[in-house]
Amino acid sequence: MATPTSQETVFPPPLVEGGHTFGSVTDAICGVVEKPTSNGWKAAFTAALAGLALFGVSVGYLIWEGTGIWGLNNPVAWGWAIVNFVFWVGIGHAGTLISAILFLFRQKWRTSINRFAEAMTIFAVICALTFPTIHVGRVWLLYWAMPIPNQMGLWPNFRSPLLWDVFAVSTYFTVSLLFWFVGLVPDLATLRDRAKTKIAHTLYGMASLGWRGANRHWQNYERAYLILAGLSTPLVLSVHTIVSFDFAVSVVPGWHTTIFPPYFVAGAIFSGFAMVLTLAIPARKVFGLQDFITVRHIENMNKIILVTGMMVGYAYAMEFFIAWYSQSAYESFAFVNRAFGPYAWAYWIMVSCNVITPQLFWFKKIRTNVGLSFILSIFVNIGMWFERFVITMSLHRDFLPSAWDYYSPTIWDITTFVGTFGLFFTLFLLFLRFLPAVAIAEVKGVMPQANPHWEGYHQHSDAAHGTTAGHGDKVHG
Amino acid sequence: MAATAHNRATIPAQADAGAANGVFKIGLGLGVVGLAGVGGAFAVDHKQAYFSWLTAFAFYTTIALGGLFFTMLHHLVRATWSTPLRRAAENLAANLPLMAVLFIPIVIGMHDLYHWSHAEAVEGDPILKGKAGYLSPTFWIVRAVIYLAVWNVLAWFFRRTSLRQDETGDVGLTFKMRKMAPAGVLAFALTISFAGFDWLMSLNPHWFSTIFGVYVFAGATMSMFAVLALTALWLTNRGGLGNSLTIDNVHDVGKLMFGFIVFWTYIAFSQYYLIWYGNIPEETVWYKVRLENGWQWYSRLLAVGHFALPFWVLMSRHAKRNRLVLGITAVWLLVMHFLDHYLLVSPTLHDHGPHPATLWMDAAAMLGIGGLFVAFYARRFTKAAALPARDPQLAAALEYDNA
Amino acid sequence: MADRRTWGLLAEFENPATLLHAAERARDAGYKNFETWTPFPIHGMDRAMGLKGSKVGWIVLGGGLTGLAGALLLQWWTSAVAYPMVIGGKPYFAWEWATPVTFELSILLSAFGAVFGMFALNRLPRPYHPLDRIPRFRKVTDDAFFLTIEATDPKFAQAREFLEQAGGRNITEVPA
Repeated sequence: MATPTSQETVFPPPLVEGGHTFGSVTDAICGVVEKPTSNGWKAAFTAALAGLALFGVSVGYLIWEGTGIWGLNNPVAWGWAIVNFVFWVGIGHAGTLISAILFLFRQKWRTSINRFAEAMTIFAVICALTFPTIHVGRVWLLYWAMPIPNQMGLWPNFRSPLLWDVFAVSTYFTVSLLFWFVGLVPDLATLRDRAKTKIAHTLYGMASLGWRGANRHWQNYERAYLILAGLSTPLVLSVHTIVSFDFAVSVVPGWHTTIFPPYFVAGAIFSGFAMVLTLAIPARKVFGLQDFITVRHIENMNKIILVTGMMVGYAYAMEFFIAWYSQSAYESFAFVNRAFGPYAWAYWIMVSCNVITPQLFWFKKIRTNVGLSFILSIFVNIGMWFERFVITMSLHRDFLPSAWDYYSPTIWDITTFVGTFGLFFTLFLLFLRFLPAVAIAEVKGVMPQANPHWEGYHQHSDAAHGTTAGHGDKVHG
Repeated sequence: MAATAHNRATIPAQADAGAANGVFKIGLGLGVVGLAGVGGAFAVDHKQAYFSWLTAFAFYTTIALGGLFFTMLHHLVRATWSTPLRRAAENLAANLPLMAVLFIPIVIGMHDLYHWSHAEAVEGDPILKGKAGYLSPTFWIVRAVIYLAVWNVLAWFFRRTSLRQDETGDVGLTFKMRKMAPAGVLAFALTISFAGFDWLMSLNPHWFSTIFGVYVFAGATMSMFAVLALTALWLTNRGGLGNSLTIDNVHDVGKLMFGFIVFWTYIAFSQYYLIWYGNIPEETVWYKVRLENGWQWYSRLLAVGHFALPFWVLMSRHAKRNRLVLGITAVWLLVMHFLDHYLLVSPTLHDHGPHPATLWMDAAAMLGIGGLFVAFYARRFTKAAALPARDPQLAAALEYDNA
Repeated sequence: MADRRTWGLLAEFENPATLLHAAERARDAGYKNFETWTPFPIHGMDRAMGLKGSKVGWIVLGGGLTGLAGALLLQWWTSAVAYPMVIGGKPYFAWEWATPVTFELSILLSAFGAVFGMFALNRLPRPYHPLDRIPRFRKVTDDAFFLTIEATDPKFAQAREFLEQAGGRNITEVPA
């Protein structure tokens, strides 16, 4: 057997740092919500509201005037709206991955970041959903996408990938919201029981549905949570798969290729984890949650970014290779045009940010450097937006050379996209202010003291019988 | 429960050598019988014999590659729970030298198997002419040598380092293997994809699919878990390690087997679905052959047998923990893995419908390669411990309570 | 001795280990209507209390099958029966194109089964509970571990003595 010191290095370090007890975990996490509103939060919220206002104006004008205010042209009938839609949906996927897939794989390190990431999922999906909603032009007829009996006897076209999107993304939103809420219920009960004002007590009391921690309730709760995780895993894969079908079921060169479903899923996870880092690194500092969102969490996420970045790179390589291997003139042209045509600048931004810069995460020094991780995560966010842009711009040189055109966004394309960040951060800041950003009950559950068979308890009873055994220092182990 | 496992002084790790030797002898015997059958097949119809050989070769190579992947994945994600199963995976990967030798007939039969290897066929075909830089006999052989070399080096490195840890108990070796894993997985991903293109996809040299490499990988991993499940069942029963490995370890394999059934289905469906919907002749031709003239029954059986049936069976936690049910499912999945490769290879030769009369040749090749494969695999359990006995993570992995 | 004005007895335990032990003793002593209350689920408590498995899974299965059948029926009927139209050269109905929506609706209704089934089995929402009157009990969502024996339990008469022996502290009578 190995020596104890080397044993420690083979196994990962503890998940919660700083020698916490159950009570201090509650205090630390609830404290964020219970403290008076900070000026930093107010400043950030004001900025976010300004972004939201910009979004409101852009969408208002779009509905008034029509989609002609965007830079769409004849070959490029899909512009930034689809790019932004796919971008935001992809961001959302890391949240589900952390909450569901890592849960199924018993990756306990997820507990500190899952609440945070699930919130990110829900708000990102809200941002995503706005684009298909507004891009239809006549927003007031959106209910036509639903199978509602009507006097025309018409039904939605179930053969259309855009209708699958309606079902996939709305199911995804609903299930993510339910999953998030189920996770929140015990923590809302904690806030209820700590509430100082009557209004807070009533509101948190209603939201927590009267949760009191009975074991019979926990039993059903844990089973439901496990099942939800099991359902969310195929769901999240299916959502980006169906998003990829928007492109891939067509016969457009550069879109119609069989690797699209897993390639989109890998890209979504890649971009989603980058966004989790972009949000979590400042938040842990501002709210003093470094004991819960540790460098180990950041390093693990960087590893996932590295792996999924490689998968995305693999897909780029396969697409290029098979485009040549197919000896189809159209396929080859589409890819050569991507890399060396008018949008070459976008293509190389994509490759640099998605394939090249993440390679720096091979080095442990960089993976564990919080500042560099933050910067590299932003690179990935940029790169993944450009990936969707590059894919969408396959349209600009279609089968008919006389129709070829160059797509440029108008100011309204830009303000709408920037505005969604206002929407996103408004919701996110409200979440940070009023709801526990770390899953309290779950974090307690992964602390060593939570295990009834923890050594500390045996030593403790020894201590009660007169032997001297310090159990305080055992909290770390 | 957990506390007692901690104090286990030494973990029994040596499989029953007598039982493993028995398997070795039976495997060797069956292998010789199968190879004799293959000899007969070559005498009767050498073209068909090459196709049968390729089917069986792909079947077993993918299983060995799955073992290599599992070993590297274990180190890559620094898993603890999979430690007791890692040796079996290493032993599977150690069959890759055998597969390298068994690849020789495919090189010899290249002209019977691959249409593009005929210079005169390429001459009259602009598409094949266009890709002759890649699909040329020389370059194809060079690539095959590279794939086999990469796999063998990786398999050798991970098994040798692991065996050395059995002797020294040096934790540093764990770190050494972890260091090697990322580069290994990367090399593996590229080689298995291009091997899939070269050996299977290029049977129909006009057809192409970007996901094909992932498809081969998905089948490889699923079938490897089926073999791992059977190995774990054997080790806990005849193998005499019932005190170290528990039904919890078997259950874990069952869960992963289930996961990769779903993954395979996802990849298979993605490929089929996009081609079905796109409906472009140069792509649909591959499925058209497989969905007409009787082949459609094989395809439907694959859909039901490789997905629907095992999916519903393994959904249940009880099924994954029941030795008999899990064992039967694992064997069934291996049959389906054969059907999968049979459908990849055979319709190229019999594009006007299935030819069941030649199935005995496929069976002979499966038995011939399979007998040797199982024999060498079993023999490794007599040579070294069946669990990585002195891996520092083993004790923690074995006290797992699979609630 | 079920007093109408008594809901039951509440006892506090120091940590998950002592609570688990007390629950095992309560089960072995033949108590039926007892419950443990904890800030997080405790591994092994279901077995310690002698509980049967959760039924949530069956509700999920029902939801999932309803979604599956409903989605297929909806797509087949609207596309092949109510208003058949050729679109994109695709058949009026084919399992291929019906797969995405069928999959999504199966998942959606399964998830409804999991969440609402869980709430229903737990009889939630429940705004008021007799335990709410005990100020100490508020710590149950923080760091306190409780065991209650309800007055309806046939062996309630010996409950106080039992809780004392099991190591319970601050044993309190909870009014109904």
